[in-house]
Amino acid sequence: MSIVVRLEEQPLEPGRELDEILRRATDDGAVVSFVGVARPRSRSGDALQELVLDHHPTLTLQSLEDIAVSAAERFDVSHIQVVHRCGAVRTGEPIVFASAASPHRRAAFEAADYLMDRLKTEAVFWKKEVGPAGSEWIEPTAADYAERERWG
Amino acid sequence: MRVLFYGRLAEAIAPELEVDAPPGCSVGQLRDRLAAAHPSAEQTLRSRRARACVGAVMVHDDHVVGPTETVEFLPPVSGG
Repeated sequence: MSIVVRLEEQPLEPGRELDEILRRATDDGAVVSFVGVARPRSRSGDALQELVLDHHPTLTLQSLEDIAVSAAERFDVSHIQVVHRCGAVRTGEPIVFASAASPHRRAAFEAADYLMDRLKTEAVFWKKEVGPAGSEWIEPTAADYAERERWG
Repeated sequence: MRVLFYGRLAEAIAPELEVDAPPGCSVGQLRDRLAAAHPSAEQTLRSRRARACVGAVMVHDDHVVGPTETVEFLPPVSGG
C-alpha cells in the first residue's frame, strides 16, 4: 500500500503522475485515473482566463491526505495518488490528478470516484474564477454536495 | 492580536490584520468586531460553513484567545 499526496504550485503533468502510480502498481490489475481541468467558462457562461486556488499552509494538504487515507481504508486498493494544483491555473490546464490502483477494476473505479466527490466538496481551497468580466469566488454546487452524500 | 484570513475574506478585509482586542476576548467577540468593521465580509464571517482556527485547530466562538495566539478565519471551502 502506498499513498502519495502532493500540493503542486507548478503546472501539473498528468502523464508523469500516471507513470508514477503505474510504476508502483506492478502487482495490480487496474489503475483508474481522473484529471480535472480548469473550465473555460463560468457557471453563468462568462469566458474565463484562470482559476485562482487560495490555500491554507497546513490544513489544505491535511485535507487531501485525510481524503486519500479514507479512500484507502474504504476500498480494496493498493496505491493512491492525489496531486492538486494551488495558485493561478489557466483555463484548459489540469487542476487535479486522482488515481487508484487495485487488483481489480471495480475497486479502482470506485476509489477514484470517491476521491473526487470528497475532493470537490471538502478539500480546503478557496477558488476564484477570473475573466475579462471580473472575478468571483465560487463554492461547491448542490450537485457536488449531492454526489458527496452518495458515500454516506 | 494577529488575525489571518483566506479566500474572499482575505480579499474583503486583508490577508493579515493586527487587531487591538481586549484581554479575554473570545473568537465570537472578535468575529463581531470584524463584522462591524468590515460590513462587506459580515455574511461570510457569519456563514454556517465558515470556520475559525487557532493553531490550525478548529475552535468555537466561546474560545478565549490567548495573548500570543493567532486566529484564522476560513470562509466556506470551495473544494478542489
